[in-house]
Amino acid sequence: MTGASDASGPHPETHGDDLPVRPWHLPGLETPSEPEAAGGDAGRGSPWHRAETAGGASFRVPALDGERMASVAAAVRNASRAARRERDLDAVIEAVSRAATRLADPDSPWGRSAEALLRAELGWPAAPARETLRRMADGWTAGTLGDLVEAELGDPGLLDGYGPAPARDGSPRMRRAAGPPLLLQVQAGNVPGVGVTGVIRGLLVRSGLLVRPSRSEPGLAALFARSLADLAPELGRSVAVCWWPSEGEPAWRSAARRAGKVVVYGGDDAVRRIRARVPGDTELVPYGPRLGVAVMLPDASVRRAARRLAEDVCAYEQRGCVSPRVLLTPRTLRDPAARALEKALSTWVKENETAPLSPDEAADLRQLRGRAEFAGEGEARLVSDPGELRWTVLAGGEPSLRSRALPRVVRVHGVAGIGEVRRLLATLEGRVQALAYAGREGLRELADAAAVTGVSRLCPVGSAAWPPADWRHDGRHQLLPLLRWTDWELPGGEGRDG
Amino acid sequence: MTTDHLAAFRSLAADLRSAFAQWRPGEPRDEGRFRDRALRCFRLQYRGIGAYRRYCDRRGGTPESVGDWRDVPPVPTAAFRSVPLLVGDDPGAAEVEFRTSGTSRGASERGRHPVLDSGLYRASLEPPFRHFVLPDPGGPGDGPEEHRVRILSLLPPVEEAPDSSLCWMADAVMERFGSDGSATVARGRAALARAGSDPGGALDWEAARARVEEARRASEPLVVLATTLAVAEWTEHLAAGGRRLELPSGSRLMDTGGAKGREGLGRSDVLEAVEERLGLPPRSVINEFGMTELLSQRYAPSAGPGAGWLEGPPWLRTRALDPVTLEEVPEGEVGLLCHHDLANAGSVSVVLTEDRGRVRDGRVQHLGRSAGSPPRGCSLATAELLDARDGAGE
Repeated sequence: MTGASDASGPHPETHGDDLPVRPWHLPGLETPSEPEAAGGDAGRGSPWHRAETAGGASFRVPALDGERMASVAAAVRNASRAARRERDLDAVIEAVSRAATRLADPDSPWGRSAEALLRAELGWPAAPARETLRRMADGWTAGTLGDLVEAELGDPGLLDGYGPAPARDGSPRMRRAAGPPLLLQVQAGNVPGVGVTGVIRGLLVRSGLLVRPSRSEPGLAALFARSLADLAPELGRSVAVCWWPSEGEPAWRSAARRAGKVVVYGGDDAVRRIRARVPGDTELVPYGPRLGVAVMLPDASVRRAARRLAEDVCAYEQRGCVSPRVLLTPRTLRDPAARALEKALSTWVKENETAPLSPDEAADLRQLRGRAEFAGEGEARLVSDPGELRWTVLAGGEPSLRSRALPRVVRVHGVAGIGEVRRLLATLEGRVQALAYAGREGLRELADAAAVTGVSRLCPVGSAAWPPADWRHDGRHQLLPLLRWTDWELPGGEGRDG
Repeated sequence: MTTDHLAAFRSLAADLRSAFAQWRPGEPRDEGRFRDRALRCFRLQYRGIGAYRRYCDRRGGTPESVGDWRDVPPVPTAAFRSVPLLVGDDPGAAEVEFRTSGTSRGASERGRHPVLDSGLYRASLEPPFRHFVLPDPGGPGDGPEEHRVRILSLLPPVEEAPDSSLCWMADAVMERFGSDGSATVARGRAALARAGSDPGGALDWEAARARVEEARRASEPLVVLATTLAVAEWTEHLAAGGRRLELPSGSRLMDTGGAKGREGLGRSDVLEAVEERLGLPPRSVINEFGMTELLSQRYAPSAGPGAGWLEGPPWLRTRALDPVTLEEVPEGEVGLLCHHDLANAGSVSVVLTEDRGRVRDGRVQHLGRSAGSPPRGCSLATAELLDARDGAGE
């Protein structure tokens, strides 16, 4: 995977901040002159914004006002148009795949930069950073991306030109699909690497992209864009990545006004704030927060299921929308399952490197666990060792999907049967991203419950964290929501153009 | 057993009441006395509260193993939402039960603090209030009549919010220190904005104006008790009418609760508005910090060298801890605030909060509640959603 250009890798840079590579990629914009000192250079009117990741790393990005955003948007649109002329979809997939997968290659300077970047941004040790990139890259291969396009469009050629569509009333028709010339993508501080997947989706539909990454992980999408620019300059120039502050009104307005569609990953508040800035007739595609749930069926092997569930829980530090946070079991299995899960999590944590807890996470865990230790009648109690914060199993209490996203915390509830599972899923209808099951007894009934309550994925326990690339994220297609269609009603029986 | 525990509590409470009454501000802290009383509290609470005993046992923190008050196992504030924590384990023995507002977590998530001896609460709150809030406190040993001042309370009377420790405190200080011209101009729970609830329209600004004018005519200083939000509302009300209501010279304002829930309302905005609309300089504005889970309070001046640093009586010690290890952080560094309050003798004395802050020379700079874990990706915080969907608490 390491081509000639890999040898150079991303240019080493000095920033006066904590990230090993610059967390922006802004075609069409000259980088402002370097500030003289690391601090005190990012006040009002400064050409730089300074911010801090959730992991405590400070970083600096060029400040985008309305005018600068407009220049970037124009550059991206133009480059995207040129790239469409220059490359067909297969060539895009080839370039995108190479640019992305080398971020997960520890032998490539790009891969080493990506790993160092994640470690700096998130405060993670090397192992989970590398593992996350490796797992993510499974979805970035040319084969996987080609399959995704085919699975969703049937005919990938529809992204390069017109293809035949079913005739209507005897009149032949053609049809073609394209993403908008400019797509604004607002990313969430989620599993690292998901931002790159988002950019790839935009490139597959042949859009130019303005990407506002999360402040928690601002750099990987920018590094991908530069990796792409290194391999395919026009394509690389059709992506701009740069964080800007929530209150940066002129930048938001400028970007939103120019975008054909807006994709937002984030919570209800974030979606509402952005929707208010987007023109009324511009389509906004929200990907809201979700959670994972696990179900042990009556015939499940408790210990084996617990071991697999521990893997699902621990993957990506339990940050994913698919990460299970609640385990539902038959009532008689609740306590054995909780004990088995406690043991499995403790084994996993002892055998794997984990990210250090942040002070805020530790403070929250202290309260959560303290409450459970003093549990009253009918409340969840703490199963885990009180002296160990790295994983937490709570058991009991009124069955509920109520849970908070904290590192490696699972609530175990005993339920009366699938009927009760269905009732609980309905309380978060449309918000359960993955339902991981163990056992087979009642599986069909569980699958029906999942379908009627809007669960987007039902999978064996142990695979929840690794959805297949063509999985319908949030219960819908990945590419189709980004597309616009043109139907061409032909005068006579003509075939595919070109 | 319960009777024994209660008898032991009564004896300890009597000792504490007398110690609190004998406090002389400025006297050096007596480490040995604090240690002895703190360990006595721990022994009593360990033996008298089953849930706390089990909690301590799991940590190996027993009266036999704990020789330093700093090693007493702290109870997270969230535990107050689980079970009644009181010596003797008989909720019926409590004279009063205070409840947290729970506004940020839903009504069913309100914590409760049962108080076995309200006299001990009164004994712990009066001397610091006199020292930190009242103008020109008299010398030691003065009788109850010596320190009476006009008090204007913007907090509802305790009978309208009987489970509010703040209203209870306001009532107690008005009874103890208030002169005949004292009054409360708030009505109903809605006026209680200690933890971010809407102050609503339950504050009678006309009555407040009349009380201020009365005090001015009598040339007597006024001590105003209010939540920070009520103060902001008052000054906004005056500003909206283009009015100014000068408090008499020597007046004080004790505000509490901070600007919770009011985005963009900074401390300096409040102080500026108070000076402009009420004629009170920042040095006369005292910020009170109290918690339902603690029976003692801290106070910070708003101007001068100690501005923003909360001081309290010697029976309330506060440490800043590393939240991961629970080790004390070096002096002046930010940590999770953990309070050790001897006035809590009847419940649990060591309370681990969610508040960040610094401790220096025994004074505390409160930096607000821990921001909470940063958003963890696209992982959902289900509580808000479930609450929004069915309006039900856990």
